[in-house]
Amino acid sequence: MATVYNWHLGREMSYPYQNGPGGWQFAAVFNTNRCIACQTCTMACKSTWTFSPGQELMWWNNVETKPYGGYPHNWDVKILELLEKANPGGQVWDATAKSDDAPYGRFEGKTIFEAADGMTQRALGYLPSEEEWKGPNNGEDVATGWSAKGAELPEHAGWFFYLQRICNHCTYPACLAACPRQAIYKRQEDGIVLIDQERCRGYRKCVEACPYKKAMYRPTTRTSEKCIACFPRVEGSDPLTQGEPMETRCMATCVGKIRLQGLVRVDETGRWVEDRQNPIYYLVHVEKVALPLYPQFGTQPNVYYIPPRWVPRAYLRQMFGPGVDHAIERYTNPSRELLAVLQLFRVTQRIIFSYAIEPGPKVGEVRINGTVREIFNDTVIGYGRDGKEIVRVTVEEPIYERPQRKTLNSI
Amino acid sequence: MKGLFAAVLQSRAWRFWLGAAAVLTIAALLQWTDTEPAETQNLTLFAYEADRDPGLDPGNSVWERAQPVQVPLSGQAATYAAGGGSVPVVSVRAVHHKGTLYLRLEWDDPTADTSSYRPEDFADAAAVEFPAQAATTVPSFCMGQPGAGVNIWHWRADSEQVLALPTEHYSNAVVDWYPSTEDLFFTARAAGNPYALNASPVQNLVAQAFGTLTPAAEQSVQGHGVYANGKWQVVFARPFSTSDPELAAFGPGTKTDVAFAVWDGSKGERDGMKSVSQFITLSISGAPLAGGGPEDWPWTVAAIALFLGLSAIGLALGWYGYREARMGR
Repeated sequence: MATVYNWHLGREMSYPYQNGPGGWQFAAVFNTNRCIACQTCTMACKSTWTFSPGQELMWWNNVETKPYGGYPHNWDVKILELLEKANPGGQVWDATAKSDDAPYGRFEGKTIFEAADGMTQRALGYLPSEEEWKGPNNGEDVATGWSAKGAELPEHAGWFFYLQRICNHCTYPACLAACPRQAIYKRQEDGIVLIDQERCRGYRKCVEACPYKKAMYRPTTRTSEKCIACFPRVEGSDPLTQGEPMETRCMATCVGKIRLQGLVRVDETGRWVEDRQNPIYYLVHVEKVALPLYPQFGTQPNVYYIPPRWVPRAYLRQMFGPGVDHAIERYTNPSRELLAVLQLFRVTQRIIFSYAIEPGPKVGEVRINGTVREIFNDTVIGYGRDGKEIVRVTVEEPIYERPQRKTLNSI
Repeated sequence: MKGLFAAVLQSRAWRFWLGAAAVLTIAALLQWTDTEPAETQNLTLFAYEADRDPGLDPGNSVWERAQPVQVPLSGQAATYAAGGGSVPVVSVRAVHHKGTLYLRLEWDDPTADTSSYRPEDFADAAAVEFPAQAATTVPSFCMGQPGAGVNIWHWRADSEQVLALPTEHYSNAVVDWYPSTEDLFFTARAAGNPYALNASPVQNLVAQAFGTLTPAAEQSVQGHGVYANGKWQVVFARPFSTSDPELAAFGPGTKTDVAFAVWDGSKGERDGMKSVSQFITLSISGAPLAGGGPEDWPWTVAAIALFLGLSAIGLALGWYGYREARMGR
């Protein structure tokens, strides 16, 4: 076992392999507040990658309703229970120990790597049965209760929210750690984690180990498959962008504009290299408005969530760590810059590597938590890998009036 | 002469050495008659030349004439993924015919786990391991080491089945349409993965350490498994010679090491989670396989008589020594 630094946990942890030399890392921010669970992302993924025999139960992208939904059934509750049994009462955070290296404080409990015995399992986990992979939408739109008096912030009495899930392309992937054949690898050029389909022998140790259950078994090839982060698009090999990196299908098709995906620079310790004007870096490290999913598992996942602002905080802290209160405060009352950067979600298929803001005029005022906030119609500009402008959008959505048309099929 | 014999027996030291010699003689006899000694390393599996081709059917009568060796197995606890140990012994027979080595493994298993279709289903399996002919030292039976590789023949029960589509596997499954069913859309098949290609129930593999198991370029091993009466019976066959230095080579009059492993799928066993033996000796003899007919019985009777006779001498010596000691001589 090697010792690696996990900045989500604010501490070192044991992992079977050393860090790579650094490079780029696939990362995304999902805004749970905006999702309507239309499953367009799910179908975009399915119709791109998993429409063939043996992939019927395979959803590399899924959107589940929390708290009751889960694909596979109850995946997170089961892993939390395993961890709790392995370390009763010990799965706690010291949220006071915050620093640049530990933005959420320090996790005092055991990760899935530390809770495993190392001989039968390298990561604490379980293998879901076929039954559990069925009904991916079980529990959809089911709320915890009925609010007779209606719902009010900050916490709704009866609540649910949508959790959008893909492979997290973890910095410390449990699937990769668990594969006894070293058939799983993490690419230096984008941090995407892939299963070598030639070497895989269908042992399903990755399926057992991945805490997010995003490695899946395919009976028609007797191998396991997983989300490939649409790597041809991220590489820029799709003819549409002429060599420039493009966001994945699930991101690009998002109707609710909840997703923003990019590539961030990482160093040889797994930390992010400061890149202030990268929108993902800004959202995660500067504003800390987007948080990792179940950071306590210890894999340092790379999809970050803006937590739903109406959900009981204890539930959210278990799911996203102790950074929840800060993230919701930031999102509810965003800075002028954050308000501008949030406009970059889903305005281009190209990966935005950096942004700039041109100040605009004051266009209004809003009252938030008793204080008056001024809203400015700033312009945010997104730049590609080559530094060239790829998108330009304002905070206030412009209104266009279409001239009256006389054709019969005009709508 | 009688006096000398009595004098020898009267000496305590000589009584000890005589007793030890009797024990060694009996042990040698057990070895010579292929009776199982306690230590795995001392086991020898003989492959005699069969006059008929046993084929891949484990029920072929040729196998009745081959002497089985009971090879003890234990769980794998050396490395991740540790486990197994549910099958305590595998019964192994070997013959050769026209330059092809045949091995037949048989073990008890209450369930025939022939499917790996559901995510939680693992198939029963068995494997045979030899040192690569290029190995300059005897490799570790734990998957070999760099410079001393191993050659593994791996049979898995699911590979005996056709690779069914979901609509074939589940009688009530309904699928409107698959837009594409070319190999490209079975990614592992397009990548040449042997399980996805399902070309043979047996894979010919090489390894030089844990985690390095890889299909050999030459897929020359055939095999077939049959489950009946709570037992798996699996036959492996491969021609003696090979040009690949990473593979094992055989020939009449040669000896090599061989180890065995068995997986019980319903116990979730796969990969390192297996019941595994240490190396035993495989001795390939140029002599013909005993026919089991009349010409065979005098040797068996002689061996049994010799065994009984030597045992009696050993017991008599022991009893004599005990009695002498009791009489205080």
